Amino acid sequence: MSITFSKPSTLTELLEAIDRTEKKHYLLAGGTDINVQLKNGFIETCTILYINHLEELKGIEEKNGTICIGASTTLEQLLSNNLIKQHLPYIQTSLKTFASPLIQSTATIAGNIANGSPTNDVSPPLLVLDADLELLSINGTRTIPLSSFYKGYKQFELKPNEIISHIIVNTHSQSGFTTFYRKVGARNALAISKLTIAGLKKTNNNRIEEIRLATGSLNEYPRLLHLLEEYLTGTPPGKISKEEIETILRQEITPISDLRSDRDYRFRVCLNLVLEFVDL
Amino acid sequence: MIVKFNLNTKPVEVDTNPMKRLVDLLREDFNLLGTKEGCGEGECGACTILLNGKPTASCITNAIHAHGGTLITVEGVAETPEGKLLIDCFDATNAVQCGFCFPGFLVSSYHYLLNDGEPNLNKIKYALSGNICRCTGYHKIFDSIILACERNKVK
Repeated sequence: MSITFSKPSTLTELLEAIDRTEKKHYLLAGGTDINVQLKNGFIETCTILYINHLEELKGIEEKNGTICIGASTTLEQLLSNNLIKQHLPYIQTSLKTFASPLIQSTATIAGNIANGSPTNDVSPPLLVLDADLELLSINGTRTIPLSSFYKGYKQFELKPNEIISHIIVNTHSQSGFTTFYRKVGARNALAISKLTIAGLKKTNNNRIEEIRLATGSLNEYPRLLHLLEEYLTGTPPGKISKEEIETILRQEITPISDLRSDRDYRFRVCLNLVLEFVDL
Repeated sequence: MIVKFNLNTKPVEVDTNPMKRLVDLLREDFNLLGTKEGCGEGECGACTILLNGKPTASCITNAIHAHGGTLITVEGVAETPEGKLLIDCFDATNAVQCGFCFPGFLVSSYHYLLNDGEPNLNKIKYALSGNICRCTGYHKIFDSIILACERNKVK
């Protein structure tokens, strides 16, 4: 086992270092997951680059009609920030069950996204808010929707020399929407989700005009349920059927059985929660 | 590397592996044995410290995280008026059983007392949700913190 530690003094130095390095590298911000992996021997030969001191990757600001969240913003900062409270309170109400205050104080938003666990808490609410990721490398920046970041189990739309620098959410992305969020776990604090559903909807005389649905822990990665969204917006009220929702869900989610829960339970609870949200 | 920080109100520096876990740094390099390792994965809270004023699990944070910052351990908390008040209240309600989790509970409840301090059961439960007591004496623990909040207001 050989772990090389490095603390780049500037953001440019960090980008140069990851552009050069041949070894597997990890960015260390809060460290709440990387330390568990190190302890269990899951991480061996690698370079660890410390980034928690880089101010460019921190902070939450309002910019050109968006709320721009620095990658190493902690969950605690996200949960207590006034801009988020004012414009995107859904982020705070849904992420209140993130781990515990002890983890919230150090864990970072991009760390949760890039660690890429199918159960990560941050992604489902950000997916329904249509969040973008700003990716940064020595060659410049590019912006992609969070929904195209995940490609498979821990597979990302991220080049080896890129980092997530910001998470960008339209300031008005929850205006006019009814919000829904359920994280099903064995307990409230420190639960790894059995399944998570996030949703936003706009209705007019019982007709769903717009709906966004995202799930966590039900596929190889958190995802939007596009087919179900299409069905629910395109079908006249009164014609929406539970059976059809169930059929579409079977195409879009692929729950597994593991130590936290089994496949049938996950499917059934997911269906029930979708029905609760669409009010059927 | 040389890691410098403020430890229990005193400036310190130590030559260490920057990846050394803070719980090990405190126990081995500073002989501060109040901070306990329980699960080693951030789930039990026995290793709670205040890092830059925030309750933090020292088993999943590293020496580098303390560099340039402020760290308070349970030994530091016990020296403060609020820490002493909490210890008195834990005593008054018989909140402590085996005691292994208590350094963590003391640090988390000290942070709550200082930053909120309302004798509100739900808020206290949330603030302490990262600390686990396997003797499961939660009711007495919550009672003691409510008592401390009430006494702190009167003061």
